[in-house]
Amino acid sequence: MTEDRSHLSARTGLVLDRRDLMTSAAALGLAFGALGGPALAEDAPKKGGTLRLGMEGGSASDSLDPRTYADSVPIDYGYQIFNGMVEIGDNGEAVGELLESWETKPGATEWVFNVRKGITFHSGKTLDADDIVYSLNLHRGDTKSAAKDLLSAISDVKKLGPNQIGITLSTGNADLPYNLSDYHVLVVPNGFTNWAKPDGTGAYALESFEPGVRVLTKNTGHYWKPNRAWYDSVELRYIPDAAARSQALISGQVDAVNRLDPKTVGFLMKSPKVSVVQTKGTGNRFAFVALCDDPSYTSNDARMALKYGIDRQKIIDTVYKGFAQVGNDTTISPASPYFAQNTPPHTYDPDRAASLYKKAGSPKFRLQVSEGAFSGATDAGVLYQEALKKAGIDLEVVRVSGDGYWSNVWLKAPFCAVYWGGRPTVDLQLSQTFISTANWNDTHWRDPAFDKIVTEARVELDDAKRKQMYAEAQHLIADNAGMVCFAVGDYLDGYAKKIRGAKPHPRYDLCDQRVAEKTWFA
Amino acid sequence: MIRLILSRIGLGLLTLLAVSVVIFVLTQILPGDVASSVLGQSATPETLAAYRHELGLDRPAVVRYFVWLAGVLHGDFGTALTNGQNIIEVLWPRLRNTLFLAGYAALLALPLAVGFGILSAIREGRLTDRLANIVALLAISMPEFFVGYLLILNLSVNHEWFPSLATVGADTPFGERVWAVTLPAVTLTFLVTAHMLRMTRNSVLSTMSTAYVEMAFLKGLSRARVVTRHALPNAAAPIISVIALNLAYLVVGVVVVENVFTYPGVGQYMIDAVTKRDVPVIEACGIVFAAVFITLNTLADVTAIVLNPRLRHPR
Repeated sequence: MTEDRSHLSARTGLVLDRRDLMTSAAALGLAFGALGGPALAEDAPKKGGTLRLGMEGGSASDSLDPRTYADSVPIDYGYQIFNGMVEIGDNGEAVGELLESWETKPGATEWVFNVRKGITFHSGKTLDADDIVYSLNLHRGDTKSAAKDLLSAISDVKKLGPNQIGITLSTGNADLPYNLSDYHVLVVPNGFTNWAKPDGTGAYALESFEPGVRVLTKNTGHYWKPNRAWYDSVELRYIPDAAARSQALISGQVDAVNRLDPKTVGFLMKSPKVSVVQTKGTGNRFAFVALCDDPSYTSNDARMALKYGIDRQKIIDTVYKGFAQVGNDTTISPASPYFAQNTPPHTYDPDRAASLYKKAGSPKFRLQVSEGAFSGATDAGVLYQEALKKAGIDLEVVRVSGDGYWSNVWLKAPFCAVYWGGRPTVDLQLSQTFISTANWNDTHWRDPAFDKIVTEARVELDDAKRKQMYAEAQHLIADNAGMVCFAVGDYLDGYAKKIRGAKPHPRYDLCDQRVAEKTWFA
Repeated sequence: MIRLILSRIGLGLLTLLAVSVVIFVLTQILPGDVASSVLGQSATPETLAAYRHELGLDRPAVVRYFVWLAGVLHGDFGTALTNGQNIIEVLWPRLRNTLFLAGYAALLALPLAVGFGILSAIREGRLTDRLANIVALLAISMPEFFVGYLLILNLSVNHEWFPSLATVGADTPFGERVWAVTLPAVTLTFLVTAHMLRMTRNSVLSTMSTAYVEMAFLKGLSRARVVTRHALPNAAAPIISVIALNLAYLVVGVVVVENVFTYPGVGQYMIDAVTKRDVPVIEACGIVFAAVFITLNTLADVTAIVLNPRLRHPR
């Protein structure tokens, strides 16, 4: 249950048009309805019904305050009740939500955003620039918000007019709208503090909130987005057990579920009542990270031995039953248009690993794994040990408790398991993990050349050039850093056949967690 | 008798206080706190500090304990650290659900266990006795999630007689509630019957070799009558304490069953609180569970005394 703790934020920066998406779906890894047949075809949407969701990724301690959201269930009810500032479209582009449009000057430090007009909160208040400024400032300064780091480059937010705000950045960033699409950044009225009675502009208003059991919302009847929000009401049930979830879907007790179990998805596909939607390679990045300043891993030969000594495909086939894509030691998804296609993959090569290991002086390797890092980490670690054994390399695998894993093991242990969620942009994906000064540089890899490329790419407005820079950056990581990223997970959603309008999304599962406003009953 | 009950209540309250201290100390030993658990991988030193300050976690542990205790003595269990919900308001419906499930399972399991236990004793060594024992042992040997999944497979997948989801709310009508909770209740029955059944049988049989039972046989009474009138009342005390133990288990030990059937009981609430280090919630759940144990044990003692005249007039 703790598998997807936070940062599910997936990559965008994915820029391609709809036709590309359809014609080259397989190549891009966005397989839609690939497993479920033709059931989710488009019809004319119609109103009515109660959508019953069965979801994993929440607990009895969930809160309505977006600053504390960390998993799928809160993200989903967050998007039912509130609106974000920027939405990520089905093709991965930033689309105006409550911030209707924006412009910036060269250098991308000065930004002007226009606030959408004529929007009302559930309380009846009309949305204006003050609400946006207040909602942004919830994540700035002295705050507990998990989005603080994401927005740390914002040095000033000011109201320019009743429907316009200005944002100043300390360092330029052409991707600011993508940062503002983060699921923590939801909009509430100016001065709002009563989180138990949330007041948003979302399609559905909160009826009843029982964290860990269910969340009920009701259509307000006057949603501002055209062609959205078809259900009369939504019942979100917490079903943490994967077997119970797919069972509830088959027997018609719920209409849509997330996180199907790869081990049993084959049986589910046989059910005539269910469609399975697989989104390839946009899920969590599963990795083992070695600290480059630890004596065992200071030599790049040792790190490369670790990269050539892992049998990625075997782990994917065994642990994820094939529902994951091979990772190439960076956190960039193979489905991203910025993925460095020309970086040679580190395929399993025991001989090469053996010779690199000898060259490095045969250091001692000790890996710490935990189910608290990600589910399957222990099995992956044991398979890794077996693969290295064939190269004559001893890897000691130690299983540690999932309790307090992120505060006690990760960033401290010389070699340990970690997952990274997708980020809205390639820039965030790379700079939060690999920049020398990053808070979460979990390999202690520091390369000024790499830092320079990422900082320059951040303000580069020419996409072809940017793509090249990001390819170079990924190449540097793959061949030097201490990360062995062996797999990128797939998302597996299950829908009842009567649901229409469900599409895979480049960011999250269940239609970017906006299933309640995007789909309808046939 | 009254004195006994009063002294039990006094001791019970002291036990609760001790339990609250133990739980608090244990939660302090656990790695991490609510801020690091909620923020998880995305924590930075500044956000952690802001979170802790907001919740008052930057005060010393002893101060936090006594502030909490003062609240409890005024009947206020406080609010959850993670989401600010009033703990009593959340805990009460969940506790009702837990008690409902436990009560339902007890209604199924108790007559089954005691009835077949007595029957086994009457027909010691014969087919009924053997069969009852074998079936009960088989049932207890299967892990509860396995029993749960088997029931789901047969009674809600292959035959859609019962729902696999036991999610009930405050507004669920009684009939529907019974229907929804049947599968988890049957699963729990599988779990607890064997222990009580075997205890009933063996306690009854152990009194069968006493002089007064022999006397009863010599009077020419039937075996069934000897067992129910002469052996059973004297065997009651151990049976009742085993029943109390199993009833307590039905309340506090059912988190796996709650999870399999997605039943909103106290167990899952407590597990979530432990995962997130939500100390006031852990304390509240722990105290409720401890109170259930103490109450059931006291009830067991009192019932044993009421049923057995010899204990009522100790020499």
